[in-house]
Amino acid sequence: MTEILRWQHRRAPGEPVSAETRDSYYGLPVIHGPHWRWSIVFYFVLGGLAGGSAVLAAAARLVGGHWARPIVRAGRYLAFLAVLPGPLLLIIDLGRPERFHHMLRVVKLRSPMSLGVWGLIGFTATAFLNALQQAAEDGWLGQRNPAAHFLRRLPARILAAASTLPAFFLAGYTGVLLGATAVPLWARNALRLGPLFLCSALSSAAAMLALLVGRGPGNARARHALERVEQVALLGELVLLEAVQRGSGPVVGRPLSNGLEGWAYAGTRLSAGVALGLHIVTKMLPRRLRPPLRLVASLVALGDAFLLRAAMMFGGRRSAEDPAATFAITRRPEDPARQAR
Amino acid sequence: MSRESTLVGRTRARPGAFGFLTDTTLCIGCKACEVACKQWNQLPMDDFGFTGMSYDNTGDLGATTWRHVAFIERVADREGRRPTRLQPFQSNWLMLSDVCKHCVNAGCMEACPTGAIIRTEFDTVVIQQDICNGCGYCVPACPFGVPALSPLDGKAHKCTLCYDRLKDGLEPACSKACPTDAIQFGPVHALMDRAKARVAELRAQGVEAQIYGDEALGGTGGIGGLNAFFILTAPPEVYNLPAAPELPQRRVLPAFLTTALAALALGLATLVTFWRSKEVRHD
Repeated sequence: MTEILRWQHRRAPGEPVSAETRDSYYGLPVIHGPHWRWSIVFYFVLGGLAGGSAVLAAAARLVGGHWARPIVRAGRYLAFLAVLPGPLLLIIDLGRPERFHHMLRVVKLRSPMSLGVWGLIGFTATAFLNALQQAAEDGWLGQRNPAAHFLRRLPARILAAASTLPAFFLAGYTGVLLGATAVPLWARNALRLGPLFLCSALSSAAAMLALLVGRGPGNARARHALERVEQVALLGELVLLEAVQRGSGPVVGRPLSNGLEGWAYAGTRLSAGVALGLHIVTKMLPRRLRPPLRLVASLVALGDAFLLRAAMMFGGRRSAEDPAATFAITRRPEDPARQAR
Repeated sequence: MSRESTLVGRTRARPGAFGFLTDTTLCIGCKACEVACKQWNQLPMDDFGFTGMSYDNTGDLGATTWRHVAFIERVADREGRRPTRLQPFQSNWLMLSDVCKHCVNAGCMEACPTGAIIRTEFDTVVIQQDICNGCGYCVPACPFGVPALSPLDGKAHKCTLCYDRLKDGLEPACSKACPTDAIQFGPVHALMDRAKARVAELRAQGVEAQIYGDEALGGTGGIGGLNAFFILTAPPEVYNLPAAPELPQRRVLPAFLTTALAALALGLATLVTFWRSKEVRHD
């Protein structure tokens, strides 16, 4: 529920009203920001984790050999478990949760939220089937059970391949969803948010799976492969974080450079850099120092995924309240104020 | 003739579309439209507050405020010069009765994942209250800040252009109540012709009037014009209106394409990494 709006106006002390009215309406917001808060942030993080681990499990199943089985196993379970709270987090955020099924009335190709609902259902279905087959293979459903027998006989490679498309979709559509709004920070970065969330999804999933696969001697190769993927994804994320900051400019990018949201964004960049740096440095250190450092790197990468979603969500909320940011993206091209910027 | 000027006064409104022309040069700031809207639509009162900056204590459009009169006291112009004489049809106040623009291509409607937001037979945009589940996506999807979630019932609300009154052949409550005809209701194309004539008349008297809500100003970026449009005498930013807003859904396809490209790159990188993975002798 939204709280009743109470007026705040941002005239600096000692400034005349005219200073504000010159370029905006008493500094009041032009657009309405979203009401989304923590439940959506957690959904974004978990959706990324689920999508990323499904992608990694599928890739491990398709091209990995016997050594990659721990990734397949942990990835299939994690993909399903991480997506389970998703619908709940979304439903409690609705103004009328009992009407959640109204989302299933329509499919709208230009509404990322409508597509997202169907994508979430598609992902949950494939993740469920993959996890069920894994459970059957692990003997959790009994050895003689005919259902378990049937599940084990399902073509695992096809199941893996079928899960990749909804997995990538789930990990990335949230960025597109934010970009398709009038919120200046998101609108300005519409093309970058999807790839950014994808990178973060993959790095967090690789980090989580590396933690789950564990330190056993038989798992070293799997863990190394995961850490390599994590590094690639972190590198991509760092590049995109820089691109978002630069592309936003000084006015739209204000929530990225100061305030609590700015700290969160700086923390995102720092943690991505630290996680990547630790992975690289670890290789040069004595062997007994490596496991704890790798553990730290993976934990930092997981925290990074959370910080990124929180910084973008609350940064967007703040930029919606800033009339200068809205006008920065909606001024006419011939307006001198736009050219000056 | 520049591209800009060919768009002036042009709207993609469908034939038979109904809308508002709000002529700010005729507005006297009486707020009769706000009151009439509240009365007819039985909207609860707002949180009473004192904004402390102008006669405008309404502040903004919201879930229970579907007309909002903005008051701009012209203390000085952009260069800081104080006004010394009055222009025709101008006091040193600007007043604008803001309302849902009922966009020709509406961001809120395209965003709505439940299909609760529909386009009516009058070409207006209405939120069906029995369908809306309060997801809140229409709220940031509107480039003008019109829809809002109500803390009272958890659903999104905005101006319906008095759909119930239109059904009975009546004009909307606000335009009916307007004592100076600053708010005019009618077919969009007829209103647009009237607006063009009015702007020409004002300009002949030296007033910097312009139409806000055609494809050149306000209805830009794929919005295709606003069915509820305005005559302004100052830059739109002064009234808290964006000059060149964009339909947010125009970004959906390009954004999905870059995301797909990133997915392809990351997927390939993962496959290659797993493919080329070598036996690890030591940890």
